[in-house]
Amino acid sequence: MVKEMERAGLPTVHMCTVVPISLTVGANRIVPAIAIPHPLGNPVLDHEEEKKLRRGLVEKALKSLETEVDGQTVFED
Amino acid sequence: MKLELGLIKIEDIQFASESKIDGTTLFVDKETVKKIVLEDEVLVSCDVDIAKPGESVRITPVKDVIEPRVKVEGTGGVFPGWMHKVDTVGSGRTNVLKGCAVVTAGKVVGFQEGIIDMSGEGAKYTPFSKLNNLVLIIEPDESKDQHTYEKALRLAGLRVATYLGELARELSAKEVKTFESCTIPEGIEKYPGLPRVAYVLMLQSQGLLHDTYVYGVDIKQSLTTMLMPTEIFDGAIISGNCVSACDKNTTFHHQNNPVVEELFAEHGKTINFVGVIITNENVYLADKERSSNWSAKMCKFLGVDGVIISQEGFGNPDTDLIMNCKKIEAEGIKTVIITDEYAGRDGASQSLADADKAADAVVTGGNANVVIKLPKMDKIIGHIEAVDIIAGGWDGSLQEDGSIEAELQVITGATNEMGFNCYSAR
Repeated sequence: MVKEMERAGLPTVHMCTVVPISLTVGANRIVPAIAIPHPLGNPVLDHEEEKKLRRGLVEKALKSLETEVDGQTVFED
Repeated sequence: MKLELGLIKIEDIQFASESKIDGTTLFVDKETVKKIVLEDEVLVSCDVDIAKPGESVRITPVKDVIEPRVKVEGTGGVFPGWMHKVDTVGSGRTNVLKGCAVVTAGKVVGFQEGIIDMSGEGAKYTPFSKLNNLVLIIEPDESKDQHTYEKALRLAGLRVATYLGELARELSAKEVKTFESCTIPEGIEKYPGLPRVAYVLMLQSQGLLHDTYVYGVDIKQSLTTMLMPTEIFDGAIISGNCVSACDKNTTFHHQNNPVVEELFAEHGKTINFVGVIITNENVYLADKERSSNWSAKMCKFLGVDGVIISQEGFGNPDTDLIMNCKKIEAEGIKTVIITDEYAGRDGASQSLADADKAADAVVTGGNANVVIKLPKMDKIIGHIEAVDIIAGGWDGSLQEDGSIEAELQVITGATNEMGFNCYSAR
């Protein structure tokens, strides 16, 4: 899906836990997520902390979309 | 460490008023088995049935398959950490009820249990169609959650297998298989010219009912570690898994791990079998990286020349598999991986979710997506309606005439990634 959306001209970011698979598949912008059963959250955290974490992930993803990349890029912290 | 397996041949199972082994027949007192199952207050009902090779019988939804064994000499007991204390097993003698199994059935997850057919097309794909099976259909107290039910069902299977194993305590086996592993210095001294080979055994540990236990320890909470190979034959590893039926390693698979058996068969002849490294398949990327780093580090530390890696499950565990392969190869050690494929119904899609050039020696258990047709069976043990929601099935898989059309992955053990099956591909 990531590749097809990019082919249609939309900058796309893949938020995923298993970064190596995303690299194998060919995503250009990759934001590492938390864990396979809960990529965009963490049930161990309390409500406030989890909200902060989730907002941070979305902001990082949005930032990656604004960033020019030259080939596959993993947006670490 | 030396372990003898005394094989007590079982060619028939029958219900009787007293449980015993007479000749090659296993007699089972149904009421006692029920009592053993219902010792756990979480479980409210248990039905006990028998399924023999060649019968027109379908068992579903299958959770686990267990071989009854009993330790008759040496330290510890079978299924350490569960049925016995955690004393080190793997030495002395263990009697094995060869030719039978305990099969636990029940709707834990619904879509992640499997089918065993005792005859017809489906029987060809599962090794368990060749066994005399004592089937436990167990229902929980409905107020309990799935995790509580899974644990209760898992332990009930172990209790019944232990009870049946005890029947062979005083029997003397006509056939005895001996397995002996050596220490690292002994191996180097005895077999100086032979390549040194280790086995990296990957255990499913994704959590959420995808778990494997070693001496009672949930392996997702452990770093990569080692076992003496004979410990595995004494039930050191048990399955707590509800994953796709075709490539989950049941407890029976662990007890009869064919890679370990074959490495022992070649030990001292073509190779020097150094040991078994057990590692996990967790859901955090850092865990995947850490565990595979550890596998590679241990292989390097052992100074082996070659490694066989077997996988369990598919999808994200493909990444654990490739990480293990790549990192061990990077240490200059040759690897062979054993996996299976999800290559689409026509076999034309990419087989694994991850790949690397280092994975250039691959053994496959076959393509789990192949569509198969299973004839109607005269008798169903369990809950046939689960077929429509099982992984590899679809709404309508269960046809009106009682036959089934579904992907091969519905069959327990069909594409096993230890190679405990007869299906493969070139």
